[in-house]
Amino acid sequence: MKTFGVMLPDVSKSLFRRAATEYYPSIRKATPVQLRGLLHLKLEACTGCGLCAMDCPANAIQVTMLDRKAKIFTVDYHVDRCTFCGQCVESCRQGALHMSSTEWELAALDKTPFLMRIGDTRNAGTNVAAKPENKPAEDKHN
Amino acid sequence: MENKITSESFTIPMGPQHPALKEPGHFQFTVDGEIVTRAYVRLGYAHRGIEKAAESRNWVQDLYLLERVCGICSHIHSFAYCLAVEQLAHVEAPPRAQAIRVLVAELERIHSHFLWMGVSAHEAGFDTLFMYSWRDRETVMDILEGLTGNRVNYSANILGGVKFDVDDVQAASIRKGLDFLEERTNHYLQVLGKDAMFLQRTRGIGVMTRAQAEVLGAVGPTARASNVMRDMRVTAPYSAYRQFSIRMMLDSRGDLEARFQVRVQELLESIRLIRQILDNLPQGELSVHLPRRIPAGEAAVRLEAPRGEVFYYIKSNGTDKPERLKVRTPTICNLNSVIRLAVGHQLADVPMILAGIDPCFSCNDRMVTLADERDGSERLMTWSELRQHGIDFYKQAAK
Amino acid sequence: MTLISVLIALFVFPGGLFLIVAGLFYQWFNRKLLAVLQNRIGPRWFQPFADVIKLLAKEEVIPDGVNPYLFIGLPIMALAGALTAAVYVPIAGIAPSYGFSGDLIVVLYLLSLLTLCIGLAGANSLDRFSLVGATRTLTQLFSYEAPFLLAMLGPALVAGSWQVGKITAYAQNHWLILTQPLGFVVALVGLMGKLEMPPFDAPEAHTEIVAGALTEYSGRGLAIFDLGRAVELIIGLTLVSSFYLGGVANLPLFVVKTLLLLFVMVGLQSLLTRLRIDQTIGLWWRYGTLLVLVQWFFMVFA
Repeated sequence: MKTFGVMLPDVSKSLFRRAATEYYPSIRKATPVQLRGLLHLKLEACTGCGLCAMDCPANAIQVTMLDRKAKIFTVDYHVDRCTFCGQCVESCRQGALHMSSTEWELAALDKTPFLMRIGDTRNAGTNVAAKPENKPAEDKHN
Repeated sequence: MENKITSESFTIPMGPQHPALKEPGHFQFTVDGEIVTRAYVRLGYAHRGIEKAAESRNWVQDLYLLERVCGICSHIHSFAYCLAVEQLAHVEAPPRAQAIRVLVAELERIHSHFLWMGVSAHEAGFDTLFMYSWRDRETVMDILEGLTGNRVNYSANILGGVKFDVDDVQAASIRKGLDFLEERTNHYLQVLGKDAMFLQRTRGIGVMTRAQAEVLGAVGPTARASNVMRDMRVTAPYSAYRQFSIRMMLDSRGDLEARFQVRVQELLESIRLIRQILDNLPQGELSVHLPRRIPAGEAAVRLEAPRGEVFYYIKSNGTDKPERLKVRTPTICNLNSVIRLAVGHQLADVPMILAGIDPCFSCNDRMVTLADERDGSERLMTWSELRQHGIDFYKQAAK
Repeated sequence: MTLISVLIALFVFPGGLFLIVAGLFYQWFNRKLLAVLQNRIGPRWFQPFADVIKLLAKEEVIPDGVNPYLFIGLPIMALAGALTAAVYVPIAGIAPSYGFSGDLIVVLYLLSLLTLCIGLAGANSLDRFSLVGATRTLTQLFSYEAPFLLAMLGPALVAGSWQVGKITAYAQNHWLILTQPLGFVVALVGLMGKLEMPPFDAPEAHTEIVAGALTEYSGRGLAIFDLGRAVELIIGLTLVSSFYLGGVANLPLFVVKTLLLLFVMVGLQSLLTRLRIDQTIGLWWRYGTLLVLVQWFFMVFA
C-alpha cells in the first residue's frame, strides 16, 4: 500500500532534537584508541634496519645509515607523504613504531613541520640532532 | 560532440562535470523532447595508471596502492589482492584472520549501500532520505574506525592476515551499532517500498529482463534484481564465506525498485552475517608470514564487492615485485546496461538509472585507447610501442 | 500623500528594500527549517544576503550567441515584475493603497512574468541544459496556472470583488480555509509549483540539467533573478495566507501567518520526492483542476 510522506516520523522528531552535525572545532569527539594518527618512533628500540622504509607505499620514511658499525643513522619521516596505513608498524620487528590516536590534526601553514628528522642518540659528538628537530604543528586549539 | 539542433532532437552531454555524477565520466544522450533516443558513454577521466604503478612497487607496497583503486570498495580490493598473492605463495591466512576480513568486508558493504541509498535519493530529488541515510552511515564509519583505525580505506589487511584483532569491548560496540543500523534499515525498507512519490520515480523504470541482464553481462545487485543468480559469495565461496554462508537476495521485477529492494535486503543480510561472525569468531593467530619474494606463477580470484563481481589476475615472476596485475571491477560490466536501458526513457529518469547500478567510475578506468587526432582512428599500443612513439614524436618536433 | 512618502512606500517600506530584505529572510527561514527537519544545522541568518552580495561581486559572463540585450534585460524585467506585484498585495499587513478593481489578475500576471522571463532567459541561451530547463519552466507555468488562478478566484467569488484589497478585507472576517478547504490545498500546492519548490523543481533539477534555465547566468544577472525569486516567495505567501488564513491585518499577524504557511510548505518539501515534468503536468491537469472545480461546484451550489 502506497502512502505519502513515509519519512514523517523522522522529520517531525528532528524538530525537537539537536542536529546530528558536530560543531567542530568547538566540540571534538574523542577518537578511538585504534585510530591511526601521527607516527612515533622509539629511538632506543630502532636498529636502523630500514624495513619500514622498504615497505612504506608512499616512501614516507627514509633511513640514512651514516655509520653501520657504530649504529649512527637518521630516520626522516615525511608527514605529508604518509598515508597513515600502518604497514611500517607491522613491518617493524622491534616494535619501535606506533601511531598516535590523539594527534590527527596535522594541518600546518607551511611545509616545515612535515619533515620529522630523528637521529641517533647513542653517539655524542656527531652532528646529528638527538631529538626531533621539527615538531608537528602546534596544537592551536588547546 | 554535436552542437547542431537538427529537427527536434539534440544531444545533451552529461559529464565529465555534472551534478548527477559523483565522479567524472562522459555521457551523451540524444533526446527528442524529453525522451532519450541514443546514449553514448566515454570513460577514462579517472585513469591513474594503477596497474602499471603496481609493477614498480613491491608486494607489500602494492597492497596499499590497490586499496586506493576505489574509495568505497577499498577493502575488497585489498582482500582480493591478498587472496591472490596468498594463492601464489601457497599459504592460507589463519581462520581468525579470514573471519575478520569477511567481517570488515560486510561492514564495508553496509557502508557502501548506505552511501548509495543517499546518493540515489539525491538523484531522485528526495534530499531528506539522502541526509538521513548518510547520517546513519556515520554509525558504520565509526564502527570501522574503532575496529580498523580509519573511516575509509581501512588498511585492515596485510599479506597473510589482518593487522588488528576484535576483542570483546569492540564486539559489544559493533553489536550496538548494528542494532541501530538494523532498525534504520527496516525503516528505509518501508520508505523505499511504500513512499508513493518515491515509487513514482522507481517503479517500472529501467526494467531489465533476465535475458537482457545475461546478455549485457550485468553483475552484482543490478543482476540479482533481474533474477540472475550471480553472487560470488554464494556461487564460489571464498575465505570465511565457506564457514559463514550468506543468502542471495533476488528480485524478479528488474526495475529500479527491485534494485533498491535487493540492496536493502542485502544490508539486513550483512548485519545478520556480522552478528554470526562475532558470535563464532574462530580462535587463532592473526597472520601468517609471507616471504618477500613471491614464487612465480599466476593467480586469479573473484570476489563480491558491494557493486558486483571484482576479478583480479596477478602474475609473478619470482621477484619482489609483481609482473602483471589486472583488475576488472563490476561497474564496467554494468555500464552497458545503463546505455541500453536509457534509450526510451525520459531524461529525468537517466540519473536514476545510472544511480541504480551504483556506479563507481574510479574503479573503471583501466585501459585507454589512443585516438589519432589527425584522422580519429583508434589503436592499442604496447608499452614498447608507446615509448618508441614518444621518442619519434620528439625527434620530429626537434627537427 | 506627499511625493516623499510615496517614494518611501514604493522603494523602502513596504515595497522595494523591505521586500527584498524580507524575501531573503524568508529564504533563510526556508533553508534553515529544511535543515532542521533533515537533522542538520543549516545556514546562518545572513547566508542568503551573503549569497547575493557574493554574486554581485562576481564577473558576469555573457556567453556567445545570446542576444545580449535580452540576456541583461530579462533579469531586470523579472525583478521589476515581482516588485510591482507587491504594490497591490497587503505586504506587512498594510492595505494596498493603489488597488483597483481586477488587480488580482494583474498581480498573478506579474508573478507569471517572472517565470516567463526565466523561461525566456533559458531559451535565449544556446546550451542544452538551458533549453531543456526553459522548456520545463514554461511547461510547468502553463500547467499550474489554470488551477492556481481558479483557486485564487474562489475567495474572490465569495468576496464579490476582484480587487485584492477588498478580498483580504473580506477574508479578515471569514477564515476561508475552513469554508474552501479544497481550494486552499490547490492554492498551497500551486504556490509550491509557482515557486519551483520541491517536489515541483523539475525545471531546475540540478541532478539532471545542472541549473535549468539559469545555467548560463552568473554574477549580477543571477543575483537579480535570485532577488526576484525571493520577492516572489514573499508575495505568493502573502497572497495565499491573506486569502485563506483570515487576512493580514497588521505586521505581527502578517509575519505569523506567512511563516506558518511557509512552515507547512517546507514540511511538504522535505517529505516528497521530485516529480518528473510529465508527472507534474499529469498531477495538475488531473487532480488540481478537478479539485478546484469540485470546490467551485460546492461554492456555487451549496
